[in-house]
Amino acid sequence: MKILVADDSRVMRQIVIRTLRQAGYDDHDIVEAEDGADALAKVTSEKPDLVLSDWNMPNMTGIECLQAMRASGSAVPFGFVTSEGSPEMREKAANAGALFLIAKPFTADTFNEHLDGVIA
Amino acid sequence: MRALVIDDSRAMRRIVSGILEGLGYETQQAGHGREGLDVLDGGWLPELVCVDWNMPVMDGLQFVSAVRANPAYRQLTIMMVTSESEHTQIVRALAAGAHEYMIKPFTADAFRDKLALLGLLPQEVAL
Amino acid sequence: MNDVDTGERRRSGETRPVITELIDEATVQSIAEDAWTALVGEDEILLPIPGELTGDIVSSWVDVVGPWTGTVVLTTGRETAAGLTRALLGDHAPDELEDEDIADAFGEIANVVGGNVKAALPGPSALSLPDVGDAPAVRNPADVCRLDVLWRGEPLSISVQGALPALPGAPQN
Repeated sequence: MKILVADDSRVMRQIVIRTLRQAGYDDHDIVEAEDGADALAKVTSEKPDLVLSDWNMPNMTGIECLQAMRASGSAVPFGFVTSEGSPEMREKAANAGALFLIAKPFTADTFNEHLDGVIA
Repeated sequence: MRALVIDDSRAMRRIVSGILEGLGYETQQAGHGREGLDVLDGGWLPELVCVDWNMPVMDGLQFVSAVRANPAYRQLTIMMVTSESEHTQIVRALAAGAHEYMIKPFTADAFRDKLALLGLLPQEVAL
Repeated sequence: MNDVDTGERRRSGETRPVITELIDEATVQSIAEDAWTALVGEDEILLPIPGELTGDIVSSWVDVVGPWTGTVVLTTGRETAAGLTRALLGDHAPDELEDEDIADAFGEIANVVGGNVKAALPGPSALSLPDVGDAPAVRNPADVCRLDVLWRGEPLSISVQGALPALPGAPQN
């Protein structure tokens, strides 16, 4: 399986990738994107099986990326990994078609909780 | 009381001026920050300035900085009027010296409430 | 008509809370501890002991715009910010850290702390992207919730500070 990790912070992309490994998802291909527009392009070119995306990013936010994906007919599973954990953000994410929202800070357990059903 | 309304959109200037006039303000309008400064430099000193963020020639942030740099304008209360997409720039405007902000679209009541907080409602409509 | 200001003119619909009415230092401390444990390392603790921030200091911050509008600012020594960056990068830390690495890592800590502070405040609010540099000035001393801690013995402050000046007639602290 291929996982696309979108975050404008390189450090945070590394932490997400490290946490994926700690959570036991170490045999997947990882592709990185540095903002929403980059993620949207890579959803087409790299055909990932799952997108893990930050919310607040320059150029295109995570939610805009998700909305653009769904509008173009892409049904790739999409989850947020974001510091935006408030109820209204969770509702916005769910309404746009996100499977889950993992709030930063997170642990490997949090990843297992949300990802086991998606990339067993 | 007097208010200067600075916005590059004529429609928005009319809306804001209309609300303020309804509250008893005397208003003047300017199409960008430079025109706004010209009004002030011409000696027409209002209590309140409502200023848009994105404008040609001189934007809202430049206007606020210019006003704050001039001690003669210390008494002015500056209200930034911005749209939701400019959300995260609001704090920069405030840091530059604006006192309050309104997010478009807004109602006349919301505007009136903000002015009441600032102690800027003309007497006759205050009660 | 009545010329006396009875206070009635301040309609209940519009009030402007200061941060100390919305969040306390203990909550900020707990948010920061969670961020440190998850990002910096499991055994990393923050001691609630004030230290003196001197010399070459750096801040990172995010803005919150909503019913409460202001900034969540982390400030520490440049060396401490570099230490935090190394801890965040773990095995991936380069031998020589660049300013960009520190801005990214220290900014990301502010983003996580700020995002959780935002979630603890009344909403809806918007959160800005993180910024790094000289700390934004305190606009209203009465609208600040500040926490001073030590990380690995080095001082660090977390300031949740309002962006609006005090209202006319409000106590200036």
